[in-house]
Formats: sequence, C-alpha cells, structure tokens
Amino acid sequence: MAAGSHDMAGKPARARKGDAAVTTVVVMRLYIAGGAPNSVKAIANLQAICEQHLRSSYRLELIDVCEYPQRALDDGVLVTPSLTKVSPGPATNVIGNLSDTGSVLAALGVRARAMK
Amino acid sequence: MSPDTKLPARNTSDQAAAAAFNGWIRRVVKGAAELRALDDGELDAVMDPATGSAILLPEARLALNGSSRVVRGVFDVLPGQVCVLDSAGTVIMANDAWRAFGARHGGAGLSVREGDNFLAACRTAERAERKRALAVGAGLRQVLMGARLQFRYEYVCDTSAGHCTFTLLIAQIARAEASHVVVTRDNIRECKRPRASPGPDRTGRRKFANLARADVPNRLLAALPAQDYERLRGGLEPVTLTYGEALYEPGQQMRHVYFPSDCVVSLLTVVEGHRALEVGLVGREGMVGSRLALGITQSSVRALVQGTGSAVRMGAARFMRVFRQSPALQRTLFQFTDTLMNQVSQTAACNCFHVVEERLARWLLMTRERLPAGEFHLTHEFLADMLGVRRVGVTTAASSLQRQKLIRYRRGNIRILDQKGLEAAACACYQHVRIRDPEAGSG
Repeated sequence: MAAGSHDMAGKPARARKGDAAVTTVVVMRLYIAGGAPNSVKAIANLQAICEQHLRSSYRLELIDVCEYPQRALDDGVLVTPSLTKVSPGPATNVIGNLSDTGSVLAALGVRARAMK
Repeated sequence: MSPDTKLPARNTSDQAAAAAFNGWIRRVVKGAAELRALDDGELDAVMDPATGSAILLPEARLALNGSSRVVRGVFDVLPGQVCVLDSAGTVIMANDAWRAFGARHGGAGLSVREGDNFLAACRTAERAERKRALAVGAGLRQVLMGARLQFRYEYVCDTSAGHCTFTLLIAQIARAEASHVVVTRDNIRECKRPRASPGPDRTGRRKFANLARADVPNRLLAALPAQDYERLRGGLEPVTLTYGEALYEPGQQMRHVYFPSDCVVSLLTVVEGHRALEVGLVGREGMVGSRLALGITQSSVRALVQGTGSAVRMGAARFMRVFRQSPALQRTLFQFTDTLMNQVSQTAACNCFHVVEERLARWLLMTRERLPAGEFHLTHEFLADMLGVRRVGVTTAASSLQRQKLIRYRRGNIRILDQKGLEAAACACYQHVRIRDPEAGSG
C-alpha cells in the first residue's frame, strides 16, 4: 500500500439525474492507516463502488493518518478507515471497511446502478 | 484534555493493558457508527487527540508487522549497502550488501552491525580511522538532531580488496514517525582498478533518485535540486482544491503557497463595478503565491480554482524560511515570477487587441498544457468570465472552433482535437506565453 495522500481521480463526466444530463463530480476523502487490513479493504471496496456506480465522475483523496495525523484531526476524523463525502453537499461520513455497499451509496447520495 | 482520555500506560499486565486500551478507545470514540465499526472489527486506528497521532489497534499492528517482513525482504535485495538507524544512532536494520561488506573487509571503513551504535563506533574507531570517524560521527549527530537533512562524506581506506574510496551518505527518512536516518555506503573507486567506473550500485541509486523526482507532479518542485526539494518537502501538505474556491482575495494576506498537481488556478483582477477579468493562469508548471518571493505578503489578485484537483500547499512563513536558505529555490521562483509577469502583461494586451475566437483558442491551449488530462470541463459562463466577454461571444467562438474540427465541446467538456490547428487559430500571444518545458503539456 503506497503511503501518503494522493488522488485517485476520475475526470468530470456526465451523470444522469432524472432525465436531464448534469455534470456532478463526487469529491471524497478516505482516511486510512497505512497498509492496515481494514484500510486496504476500504480502498478496494470503494474503488469497486466508484467504478460500478460513479464511473469517472468522482475524485478521491487518500489520506494516510499515520503520515498526516493533523489533517485527520483538523477534519474531525477520529477513526480509520473513514470516508467523507466533501461535495456535493451535505457532507456525509461512513466508518469502517466500506463492505456495505448500500450504506456507502446512501452516504454518497448515489442511486445503485443495476448489475449487468 | 481531561485525564480520562489519556492513553493508558503499557507497564501493566497484557490483559489489564488490553482492557485499559479498550476503555480508552471507548472514551475517545463516542459516536454510535464508530463504536459499531469498532465492535465489528472494521477499524484500524484511533486518533489520539492528546498527542495528535494515530494509534494503531492491535490487529492492525500485527498485520503491519507481517508486512514489515516484506519490507525487510525488499531491503535485502537492494544491491547498494544500506542501513537504518534509530534516533539514538543504533543500527536497527542493515541489508545483505552492508552485512556482506562487513564480513568481507572486517572493520575497515566504519563497519557496524545490527544492534551496534553508529555514534559509539565512530567514537571508538581505531587510531588510523579516528579522524574520519569523528567527522562522520559529528555529521550523523547533526542529522539525528535535525540540524541538517543529510550529510555526505568521502573517505579513503585500505581494505582486503586494496585502497578504496567510499562515499557515505547519511539522510533523514522524511516519512518516518520518529527521527530515523538511513546510511548508504558506496565504494566509488578501488585504486587497484585501472579506471574508475560507476558500478551497478551508483547507477541503481541514480535511477532511484530519478524515479523519486518523476513522482512529483508539480514541475516547479520537480525541477528543484534534490537537496532543495527535501528542504521544502517536510512542510508540504497535500490538499484538494475545489472548483470555484478562492485561494486569495485582493488585499488579503497569503497564508499558504500552492503547487498545483492536476488543477489550474486563475488569477483574476477585480475592477469595481465590472466582472473580474483573468490576467494569469497557474497550473502544474508553477506556484500560486509567487509574490512572496518579492517580499510581498498580500495578494493583488483573486486566485480562483478552475476544476477540482489536487495540489500541495505550504504555510507562507515556513515557505519564506526555506526560500531564504535555498538559492536554487530563489532562482527557480524568480524565473517563474518573470514568466508569470510576462504572461500577465501579454494577456492584458491580448484582452485589449484580439478577437474572442483567437483569445479563446489561446486560453484553451494554455489550460491544456497546464493539465495532465486531455479533456477538461468548462461552462460558457465560466469562459465568458475568464475572457471578459459576454456568454454569447464565447458560444459563437466555441462553435466556430468546433466547426473547424479543432475542438470538441459537449455539455461543458472540452477536448482539443487538433493542437497545431488550434495554435494557428490562436493569436500570436500564445507563442509568447506557452510553457517551454516540453514535458508539461505533452500528450
């Protein structure tokens, strides 16, 4: 697991909302603890969710609290793994290894896309 | 901090320590979601508000110990001689190449093993090596105390292989929790050999250094010599810049400087009673807040983020401290400031003399070469603000460029289809302000 804080970015793209095509980029921050098991699971789970449900219209910032603890404290994050949706508002938070896809999608305000 | 949120001491029995640790977590973490995740074993770490550090939970710590065995394996595969010292100067890890050298050449050239204290070895070196050992010891102490980031020392000694010249490099490990240092030793010249040749170790290390520099997305930071970049790196903090976020307002103190990685920041002049007009553009080739290099701490422009993206930032005061100590950073920043001033003056003239279509083409080319992505998102309103024209003017100009198959513009997403053609459609100003670094804007 690469340490540090970096982006796993998708460029802005179209997402469907009702019938109108709008451009919505979901900006998220995932707080992890280095290569610890739940952090690794959370990254994998979130990547799968993003690829299936957000396609490329998301931006994810990974923050390793072992390297940037002050960043987590400033953002009011006390445990890892912890996912925060920054925008679009309102800000929401999911704790844990993100294995519950339903609660992650609900927090991100994204409707589940049917499996092909 | 109330006493009941203090991290429990570990000098009790294992069971009592585990119970106390569990109790501490439950006092720090009070939210229902956090406690549920804790009970389900889905947490790795808890932040300790008292010390401002992350405390790994036991399961995570055990798993990471497993991964440290992988690190050890990788460390041993490295061809160069490397060892890691803790904050007291004790060797906590030495790789196979380091150990093999010690076994081959005995005590020559400050040979220390895992568990030995490097400082003590320097103090008790044999008489023939005393002088250089004391010099190395003094350098190591300075690095351990944080007085310098690295210390390099070249010395000659006799080994069983003959008369050898070594370079010893002692450097802080910037990402370590405590103040650990890494020591590398290169045999740069053996006098028995007819010609000095860079051995595989040196080549490997140079490649590794290049790899590290290529990892820095901001071109201004990447262009700095390694030593100067290291000075800055400790104070750099990764941030996400959000579309529409104003980093500075005119007349305000600049609290941070920003080095964009994959976003672009517009510098806007605000004129009372009129819309703000863009006069400059900064992306991964530069820095937002370069006025600090001229000793001015207030911004004269509004710095507006175009498109969400990542950057690293640094506190203005800390940046100025490093700036004063680093001639290379001063040189780089003065050059960038000159380039930016050239861009600002050219843009001012361009806004006055050239038609919207030429200006739009110039602006798209400038934005493209500052972003790593081939496609970017911009609305007509935003473009109108940037170019200081009405929205309808942008629509007409964008449609014209699209008809000529120079760009594709769909629902705000712009892709440049014909770079050369767009350059021909842009006014001559673009050739004056384009980034000369061939790496930026490629692709």
